[in-house]
Amino acid sequence: MKPVRFAENRFLQIVLAAYALLWLLLAIHPHDRGDWFLENLLVFVTAVVLVPTYRKFQFSNFSYALVAIFLAVHAVGAHYTYAKVPAGFWLADVLHLSRNHYDRVIHFAFGFLLLYPMRELLLRRAGANETWATWLAVAALAALSSWFEVVEGIVAQIVQPELGTAYLGTQGDIWDAQKDMGAAFAGAVLVATWFTLRSLKSRKHH
Amino acid sequence: MLENILLVLFVAVLVVTHRRLRLSKASYFFLAIFILLHIAGAHYTYAKMPLGIWAKDYFGFARNHYDRIGHFAFGFLLAFPVRELLVRFGRIHRSWSFWLGPAVILAVSGVFEIIESITAETVAPGKGVDWLGGQGDEWDAQNDMLSALVGSLLMMAITALVERRRARR
Repeated sequence: MKPVRFAENRFLQIVLAAYALLWLLLAIHPHDRGDWFLENLLVFVTAVVLVPTYRKFQFSNFSYALVAIFLAVHAVGAHYTYAKVPAGFWLADVLHLSRNHYDRVIHFAFGFLLLYPMRELLLRRAGANETWATWLAVAALAALSSWFEVVEGIVAQIVQPELGTAYLGTQGDIWDAQKDMGAAFAGAVLVATWFTLRSLKSRKHH
Repeated sequence: MLENILLVLFVAVLVVTHRRLRLSKASYFFLAIFILLHIAGAHYTYAKMPLGIWAKDYFGFARNHYDRIGHFAFGFLLAFPVRELLVRFGRIHRSWSFWLGPAVILAVSGVFEIIESITAETVAPGKGVDWLGGQGDEWDAQNDMLSALVGSLLMMAITALVERRRARR
């Protein structure tokens, strides 16, 4: 893939502008400013990683769009404080769930949406072939998900207890960490299985 | 019981793959030590391992930390064979292998915590973390995963240093 300068990458400009607009709107009067800030550390870290590396390693525009979608649904969670997102309450009513599952949906989306970019990175830079790239991407995302639970645990213990609980969003579930990781893992495995089936099919044809 | 099911599966995989995926002597050595440590932990039930109780009394810990050592050893001892697998069979670049090795370890560690929690809820519903040997630690899963990660990163650092020294000669 030929690298394109940002000034000429119209698609990426539109994606970035749309995300910036959404982010700004959701930065106005969040439910809990402290929680909003903690949740947004993820956005800052992503920006710090992706912006300076654009010249050295350029993902496909499809990958950037997936990352933007993920950060967009995350921004919604940060605005309302995950456990209180209206869409989650609606889901709980429709499916008769005992808690707001918006956070689980986002963990699932983490695995589901980010498998493609991670796979692309491993394929183009790490020397992996398609099969290895697909399943190592699953491993990398499961690892990041585990790492995130570890960091979350540490942050929650450092900040004041109330904010920590809001940030963790366990809603009284002792297996919250395991379920979050399970959701991310399931999302990643789903897409990886699709990739694997597709390559098996194309192998049969040739 | 669960501990030994995992062990039998693990050894079976090693035996079956021995011909196609032959690892280095160093890898098999690390795998053997890990299996021995695990057998000792399973024999005493991790939370009651004498060595851990001794450490608890001696250093004044709040709990028997032998299980943490087990998780640390998992990362430390298995990162080496995993990395070897990535480099030799996955053709992963050397610089990437030092990070993807620990990534695989941390991923497996996370999946293990998920399986553990499902088992706990199936076998002893409501008893939660303590049935798993959490010994009252609400961050048990996080601490276990962190131990494995630290162990694997340490092994990667040592491996990188040893390889560099060898390359210089």
